Amino acid sequence: MKTKKIVSLILGSMLAVTSLAACSTGTPGDTTAATTGGDQPAVTDGGKEIVDFTMFAAMAGKEKNEGNEIKEIIAEKTGVRVNETWLTGQDAGEAIGSIIASGKLPDLIDGGDGSVTLYENGLLVAWDPYLEKYPNLKEMYTDQEWDQFRMEDGHIYWANVFGNSYQYNTATGHNGEAFWIQNRVLEWANYPKIETLDEYFKLLEDFAAANPELPDGTPVIPYTCLCEDWKYFCLENPPMFLDGYPNDGCVIVNIDAGMDKPQVVDYNTTETAKMYFKKMNEEYAKGALDPDFATQTYDEYIAKLSTGRVLGLCDQYWDFAYSIMGPFASPLEATDGTTFRLDELGCDYVPLGLVAKKGMDQQWHSYDDELNCSSGCAVTTSCKDPDLAFAFLSALLDQDIHDLRFWGIEGVDYLVDENGLYYRTEEMRENWKSDSYKAKHTCEYSYCPQWMGMSKDGINRMQPGEQPSEFIEGLAAPLRKTFEAYGAGTYAEFINSKIVVNAPWYPLWSWSNSISSDTPGGIAWKKMGETKHLWLPTVVMSSDFEGDWANYMAAYAECNPQDFLNEAQAEVDTRLATAQSYGWTPT
Amino acid sequence: MENSITKSKNIKEVDINKPKFTVKEFKRQWILVAISAVYVVYGIIFYYLPLAGWIMAFQHFVYAKGITGSKWVGLDKFKFLFNDKTFLMVIRNTFAMGVLNLFFSTIVAIAFAILLNEVRTRWFKKSIQTISYLPHFLSWIIVVAIVHDALTSTGIINEILMKVGILKQPYAFLGDPKLFWGIVTFSNLWKETGWNAIIYLAAITSIDPCLYESASIDGAGRFQKMLYVTLPGLRPTIMILLLMNMGNVLNAGFELQYLLGNGLVQNVSRTIDIYILDWALDARNLDYSLGTAAGIFKTVVSMTFILGSNYIAKKRGDERLF
Repeated sequence: MKTKKIVSLILGSMLAVTSLAACSTGTPGDTTAATTGGDQPAVTDGGKEIVDFTMFAAMAGKEKNEGNEIKEIIAEKTGVRVNETWLTGQDAGEAIGSIIASGKLPDLIDGGDGSVTLYENGLLVAWDPYLEKYPNLKEMYTDQEWDQFRMEDGHIYWANVFGNSYQYNTATGHNGEAFWIQNRVLEWANYPKIETLDEYFKLLEDFAAANPELPDGTPVIPYTCLCEDWKYFCLENPPMFLDGYPNDGCVIVNIDAGMDKPQVVDYNTTETAKMYFKKMNEEYAKGALDPDFATQTYDEYIAKLSTGRVLGLCDQYWDFAYSIMGPFASPLEATDGTTFRLDELGCDYVPLGLVAKKGMDQQWHSYDDELNCSSGCAVTTSCKDPDLAFAFLSALLDQDIHDLRFWGIEGVDYLVDENGLYYRTEEMRENWKSDSYKAKHTCEYSYCPQWMGMSKDGINRMQPGEQPSEFIEGLAAPLRKTFEAYGAGTYAEFINSKIVVNAPWYPLWSWSNSISSDTPGGIAWKKMGETKHLWLPTVVMSSDFEGDWANYMAAYAECNPQDFLNEAQAEVDTRLATAQSYGWTPT
Repeated sequence: MENSITKSKNIKEVDINKPKFTVKEFKRQWILVAISAVYVVYGIIFYYLPLAGWIMAFQHFVYAKGITGSKWVGLDKFKFLFNDKTFLMVIRNTFAMGVLNLFFSTIVAIAFAILLNEVRTRWFKKSIQTISYLPHFLSWIIVVAIVHDALTSTGIINEILMKVGILKQPYAFLGDPKLFWGIVTFSNLWKETGWNAIIYLAAITSIDPCLYESASIDGAGRFQKMLYVTLPGLRPTIMILLLMNMGNVLNAGFELQYLLGNGLVQNVSRTIDIYILDWALDARNLDYSLGTAAGIFKTVVSMTFILGSNYIAKKRGDERLF
């Protein structure tokens, strides 16, 4: 019978597959986003050979279209075209782990938290000889700073490309963490001064009670909090900031005994931590905290923010702001048939630097450049022509190409006034907010070397977001009004943090993000993370806060956090000693 | 078959139970041998040669040094695994979800196939069958997105339960560790039932219609025919599928649990595969040796399951694999 044959055929093939599969060692999740290096030269119209490089950045990002306009111009000028790929779903460690396992490396890579592993496996090309050859690259950092990038073998394998100001820091934004609030909430309450969690949540609740819906009928959510994977810092680390400390990420570094006697303190077990989680617990019970906060994915979180229904959140600016710019600038239809835009309604978020007790200083914002030596742009051993790769990275820092990357094409993306000052029209600004325009036209090479701060022409800023005139023009009307009401010209002034010179060990997260589980401290750190992932949302959602807090503290103590703190203390001491050897003294 | 019969000179056919390997025999079958040789070579290259990599489990493997240069550590990696509470926990999770999945997917697929077989309207039967197996072709990421969406505070499940008054407040289904295995099993059923039923449906059509006729003559009703004709007719298929799936119990899944899990349910959601990704393939704890050790453990357990259940089937005189 025909069917019998088919059945036996299916059975037979399934048998073959399963019995053999049982003998293979599974390596799951082998989904690398990396592509192999294709170094085939292509001849352009001009007759100059253009080499195609691949680059992987262990960060979520948007890919550029084929034939992106500015990318082609840069390729003409430098002879190199780079095809960038990004994280797709997995985190940096998993992605780099599977790239190493597959043996298929891109030409250029920013390994994020996996950078040290790439170095340990001998997959990166040392920068040292090329730094001497290409002054553009050398100029990025001082000798002391370059020394901080040196690995155990004495060589430099990557350069961090972010937050590095030419001449001086001209930041207008607050790229770090804060309790963000929609500016319409502040306007509604007539611009009060908000300092504590109690004031913050009371304002959110009052506003939500008075304005339960957006014009399109979407109900508002007073506060939400991301809790997914490593981005659970949104829930986890505010106790550090609330106590007035800067973002060392993994611990508080107490300097009460003097800058030369730093003392590492665990922020997970402080009074402030308990106070903060108790507050979150109360807000959850009241329904002011999003009931889905613990289970939402990052995509769901961004989708939620994009509707404008979330009044307040705690997050790092870069983690949410760029994704919601487009939706906030698009017209929506209200229930009465009129159209409105969220940014014009006053839904843009402004940062609040909350503290545990009224009147305390806080350091949510760092006015200094912060140097993260633990990862950066690197050239891999798979790259067939490393010299060309470094020549390309160097060329990206030439002012004309740098302007192409961040300002665009003169006359199309920006105009120049009689004093040489760059400016944009309303239409150009809207273009640069549009995802589709960016995909086909702009090419920032955003994980390659770049500058912040003053342009080399001495008039403009390296990046338009820092150009004072552009920054103010780019703000929606309600946001500008809010800034005026608080007497602030920029986000950095708005959050009004204490101005300090960064300590030599700052930021300590550049160490904790990449520690491996080879040491007791590393294992403790991983276990602490797993414990907090389980218990922090549990205590927030608990109906018996005190009881569950005690359970959490017991489970936390089982991870031996002291092992981790000891290693953190050792790292702080090492960094301090290094700085002192360069003549650093406490101020 | 009696041996005496095959020895008789009248019968020239080859004894199918004991084919003799002779040059003549080989010449007669060389095309068949050549065709199957391709598969044997394929199997050796892709399934058996990689087993050499198991050596890594007994080393502290460092990528840059390779297998020849890495340090031998004996059973250290296995000791680490079995002293790690988390690993014991993920074994429990994997096993529990695997068994739940095996049990329910078999029962539901058989029930579904039998019920579908009883449907007399042809177009209705065909359309149900098509609709039910389509989810099989969806990727897990899409299924998880649907499940996730349905179970959020504003999702359809909460909405219905609140409308009919069972719940007052939306319930965080995905944050409750007690529900996680159930949600996983249900998602698996939703995706795979239609597909799994196909094989049973095909087996049902091969049952001799005479059996149904004679059952009718004996006065069997529809339900009795299902019970005493269809089910026993399916028995060999069920046994074979069950045996093969036994080896898959520890492959309880990766994508589904990885995508559906979150901090609150991590103690019940993580499977062996997720553990390997986390502790062995993550660049911050890159440890191929540990991953290989966990892989060996999985293979040994799966082989034991297959051999064990095959042995039992043999004893009981049921269908078996080998």
